[in-house]
Amino acid sequence: MTQNVLFLLVLVAALGFFSYNAQRLVRYLTTGHDERRTDHPWTRLRNVVVIGIGQAKILREPFAGILHASVFWGFVVLTLGSIEILARGVFPAFGFDRMLPTPVHGLFLLSQELFAGLVLAAVAVLLYRRLVIKPRRLQGDKVHSGDAVFILSMIAALMVTLFLSATFERVVEARHSAAFQPISSVLAMMFSRVPSGTAGSIATASSWIHALLLLAFLNYLPYSKHLHVITSLPNTFFSNTSGPGQVGVMRPMDLEAEGVETFGAADVKDLSWKNLLDGYSCTECGRCTAACPANITGKPLSPRKIVVNVRQRTMELAPLLKGDRAEAAHAVLAGGEGDDAGGGTVGERAGHRLLDTYITEEELWACTSCRACVQECPVSIDQLDVINELRRNLVLTESRFPEEIQPAFEAMERNGAPWKFQPADRGRWADGLGVTTMAEFAERNERPDVLFWVGCMASFDDRAKKIAVAFARILNAAGIRFAILAQEESCNGDPARRMGNEYLYQMLARQAIETLDRYRVTTIVTTCPHCFHQIGNEYPQLGGHYEVIHHSTYIERLLEQELVPLRTENGKQLVVAYHDSCYLGRYNDVYDAPRETLRRALPVVTVAEAPRNRSRGLCCGAGGGRMWMEERVGKRINVERTEELLGTGADALAVACPFCMTMISDGAKALGSEVPVYDIAEVVAGQLTR
Amino acid sequence: MKIAVCIKRVPEMDVRFKIAPTGTSVDETGLKWDMSDFDGYAVEAALQMTEKLGSGEVVVVTVGPDAAQETLRKALSMGATRAIHLKADPIPFDNFAIARALTAELQGGGYDLILFGKMSIDSSNGAVGPITAELLNLPCVAAASKLEVANGKGTARRELEGAAELLEFPLPAVVSIDEGVARPRYPSLKGIMAAKKKPLEVKPAQLGDVRMTVSTMALPPERPPGRILGEGVAAVPELVRLLQTEAKVL
Amino acid sequence: MPNNVLAFAESRGGDLRKVAYEAVTVARALADATGGEVHALVGGPPGIAAKAGVLGTYGADVVTVVEHPAFADYNPEALAALLAERSTGGGYRAVTLIASAQGKDLAPRVAGKLGVPLASDLTTIRLDGDKVVGTHPVNTGKVIATVTLAAIPAVVSLRPGAVTAAEKPRSARVESAAPSGDPTASRVKVTQTIAGNTAKLDLGDAPVIVSGGRGLKAAENFKLVEDLAAAFGNAAVGATRAVTDDGWRPHSDQIGQTGRQVSPTLYVAVGISGAIQHLAGMRTSKTIVAINKDPEAPIFKVADYGIVGDVLEVVPALTAAVKAAKGH
Repeated sequence: MTQNVLFLLVLVAALGFFSYNAQRLVRYLTTGHDERRTDHPWTRLRNVVVIGIGQAKILREPFAGILHASVFWGFVVLTLGSIEILARGVFPAFGFDRMLPTPVHGLFLLSQELFAGLVLAAVAVLLYRRLVIKPRRLQGDKVHSGDAVFILSMIAALMVTLFLSATFERVVEARHSAAFQPISSVLAMMFSRVPSGTAGSIATASSWIHALLLLAFLNYLPYSKHLHVITSLPNTFFSNTSGPGQVGVMRPMDLEAEGVETFGAADVKDLSWKNLLDGYSCTECGRCTAACPANITGKPLSPRKIVVNVRQRTMELAPLLKGDRAEAAHAVLAGGEGDDAGGGTVGERAGHRLLDTYITEEELWACTSCRACVQECPVSIDQLDVINELRRNLVLTESRFPEEIQPAFEAMERNGAPWKFQPADRGRWADGLGVTTMAEFAERNERPDVLFWVGCMASFDDRAKKIAVAFARILNAAGIRFAILAQEESCNGDPARRMGNEYLYQMLARQAIETLDRYRVTTIVTTCPHCFHQIGNEYPQLGGHYEVIHHSTYIERLLEQELVPLRTENGKQLVVAYHDSCYLGRYNDVYDAPRETLRRALPVVTVAEAPRNRSRGLCCGAGGGRMWMEERVGKRINVERTEELLGTGADALAVACPFCMTMISDGAKALGSEVPVYDIAEVVAGQLTR
Repeated sequence: MKIAVCIKRVPEMDVRFKIAPTGTSVDETGLKWDMSDFDGYAVEAALQMTEKLGSGEVVVVTVGPDAAQETLRKALSMGATRAIHLKADPIPFDNFAIARALTAELQGGGYDLILFGKMSIDSSNGAVGPITAELLNLPCVAAASKLEVANGKGTARRELEGAAELLEFPLPAVVSIDEGVARPRYPSLKGIMAAKKKPLEVKPAQLGDVRMTVSTMALPPERPPGRILGEGVAAVPELVRLLQTEAKVL
Repeated sequence: MPNNVLAFAESRGGDLRKVAYEAVTVARALADATGGEVHALVGGPPGIAAKAGVLGTYGADVVTVVEHPAFADYNPEALAALLAERSTGGGYRAVTLIASAQGKDLAPRVAGKLGVPLASDLTTIRLDGDKVVGTHPVNTGKVIATVTLAAIPAVVSLRPGAVTAAEKPRSARVESAAPSGDPTASRVKVTQTIAGNTAKLDLGDAPVIVSGGRGLKAAENFKLVEDLAAAFGNAAVGATRAVTDDGWRPHSDQIGQTGRQVSPTLYVAVGISGAIQHLAGMRTSKTIVAINKDPEAPIFKVADYGIVGDVLEVVPALTAAVKAAKGH
């Protein structure tokens, strides 16, 4: 009796303490600004089921993935047993066997047994991996394995105590069929000599220890990176990184709002509650950092660090703002590992902020916005969101940015292009091709079937102009009535937006939308994935709604419909390695169209795949405005990627983006390789019969 | 510290200009406009000086049409304190007349330093600054590539052909600014918003009589399309010949 | 209508400069049209009078020399005061200067003192009735303005080299005169003159830039670029991003979108393919020469003159030819 009362007290105290921390953590989330994340609940629920419960993202890495999934699913199933154990601590007569028919209860027992065994085995392997194999991504960023080893050991202890309890209960009395408790029954046989009384005590003690460990585990979570156990499913629900809606779209900003003094984020209070929840949910697994092209090539950027810093700063600032003096004095709650957490006096910490104190400019500018980090995160954190908001603050509020991008800003503002080329020269690439402009169509009171948005690269860069020429030839050969804007086209604003200059971006975007709407454009095809993503997916924020197709998809359609007359004789066997463009692939899921296009254009081609391909493709290094920035640290990203592509032994490399074209071509030159780089449009155009 | 910076609205130079039908000016259709480059350096230099001192006023002045107010606002968004627009449409080519108008405004304004760009990149005369200095009877340093002020004195550096001079002068003074003093800051959105509320006075420009005008504008003779002269060492003599006779750069 | 013309004869370090002869030549041409005299004014340190007579060769009728130690270095206030004073009361129709570094500084001061506008940096000049008419490049040289100046005296400065100094000998009378006021009483003082380091001419100032790119194959070969620059004499050395990234040249030498943007009179691109980022830094150069082994290289589209060939062979040949042309 006293046992049960004692247990009840412990249970109440443990649950009480847990709720106290839980509500504090929830309150700290309100440090960030409000944001609606409950739209499209069914899509969100689907994400929870697929990514959360289905462990879809964590299984991208099969070995560690299966191990973690085992532990996770194990825990889900074992929760049922835990409920029984806790309930029995207060009401000893409680038991599922009283409530369920024997076969069902048997299944329940079996599930507990098998999953406990699975979890124990998985934990053993995971511990070995942590302590002996020491994979690279589990090091660095001042994360150390202490927390992880502690938790793994705790889990192991929980499983062991489960087995001890079940085993010694069987030693006392085998109440259930051995078939339902295969492991415990075997173990019980080994301990069958233990006297009943002792066995009973061991069973009870194990049960108690298990219950206490469980409650301790529960209360340890808010102090550990294992908080993700609680937050990951809600985090996945509230996340937008796998939909609903288009992924990879930057946050809209209202620049006209009255009385707004700062733009973007300098500190966690400028971020949204969802960013802070991301901070809570980080498991420090490091998959994001392991996939980050900047990190891989030695830059200081680590997406994991960004998220951990958000958490650390939240734990530093939120208590101060919410009046939690005890916590403020010494931030312990989930501060994360590492020396930065909660250091310094209250006064000092008030002078800190996320930007500069934790996250440096150098880290932020190293990002190519390739979205590999977001793609990999098993708990649906949006690391890129934080980077973008901090960049916005740097540019819009503090006017701090690498000086080499100022000419790009100025050129976009004055020339409508990120380089000092004359706007009047747009459209010169089309000389002699019989290309009609929108203005000419309008003069004749006619409308084209589609607008070919050329983009600044293909308009001005000599190499990229060839892509536009190739595509125009394909369109002509297929008899498509298309128009170009020529001198009326100006930069869609993507580089400005990615670099954080939302003001310049909106100016350029509105201008472009105005031009497009003036001509009542509905359908656009473009050879540049950045234009494609920007106009198709982000312009709706500013009222521009168009159907935008990337030329790889467009050409594939034309080829499917057999509208393009191609030579069908077999050429020589060609191995072509295709490089996935980030804004086409990870941002827009276009992986197959370019490959299909290559296959249809060159029937004897073998499309070689780089080890990091499709959604794992390594960025060429030009995104996020980095095309206009100096790369001063570490290995050049484009060289890293080109090396990988050349490593396939391909005869030629194929791209579907003019920026990738420049970067991969430069990479090949730097490596002294003569392997040619083509845009897929050039490959197709090279096979035209007319 | 009170600094005046005289700036000018000029067209963007990265275009192919066309001549207007009247033949006396450049065709303005489609032209984009901005602050003359050297004026930008001057504004930046003034801002850096007042920021270093922790106090001071930077007043930007321009002689020009209504559209020139955009240029003033750009200076305000960089951080200038207030602006004065002396209305003149069009901006005369007569540098003395402009100097006269500026002098009328600046005289008695209590300015410690009056800055100009070393020349405006459209009319390219480099005269308004020094003429204004003469009219105000102030010491003048033209084309300074470095400038510092302290304790009522200024020090500057001027580049000559193959040499440089260091100079000292008392304040108040007029200085025209060359490249190398400061790179104009990129206005933050914060600055752009604040600029909308800063004071901008409009007055007529007291130009007086205009004695120098542009009677015609013409495009220079067409640059012949580039050509490949030949291959290898054999083409070198022809290149040198053309550099001497045609391009006249040798 | 006054018909004399006053020419300012620039000197440095006690010697007349070439531009002084150009100023006199211009004045002579104008005076021939008005039927007046050319008076040349020289301000220099003691001893310069002995060298001033040569101005007669270029057409001066009178050479007025003002000698004073304070004129040993360029003394803008004193010279401006002197020239302005001499410009009044001599029946001068025009005052001619050359827009050298000194002239660009001096001319507006004189115009200001005389209360007249300045027609500067003219490439041609003539008289039209009571006006002076000249041509003047504006808008970074993209447009030529014809300027009409209706003031007496008309203060004008000519672009150096626009008018070639021509011998039109006159028997010149050399007079000496006193400086105006106290030439030592300048408010602006020169505290130091720093001799130029011609080895490291700044990219922004250099009239000629020779730039090297990957086509040079190795860092050692950049010596060829340096040699060519030295042959030109007044050239700076630039580089593309590719070679600065590889450490062949310092980053400060990089010409391009993220490096320096330059606009020299002559740009020689050696082994440079002409990627968009590099072009963005130099395409406004007045004359562009490209040497590259690839005839399809984009640089040839913007170059005025191109040579297709191996830079390692062509550049030394060009260096030798330039040296010969410059008479070394």
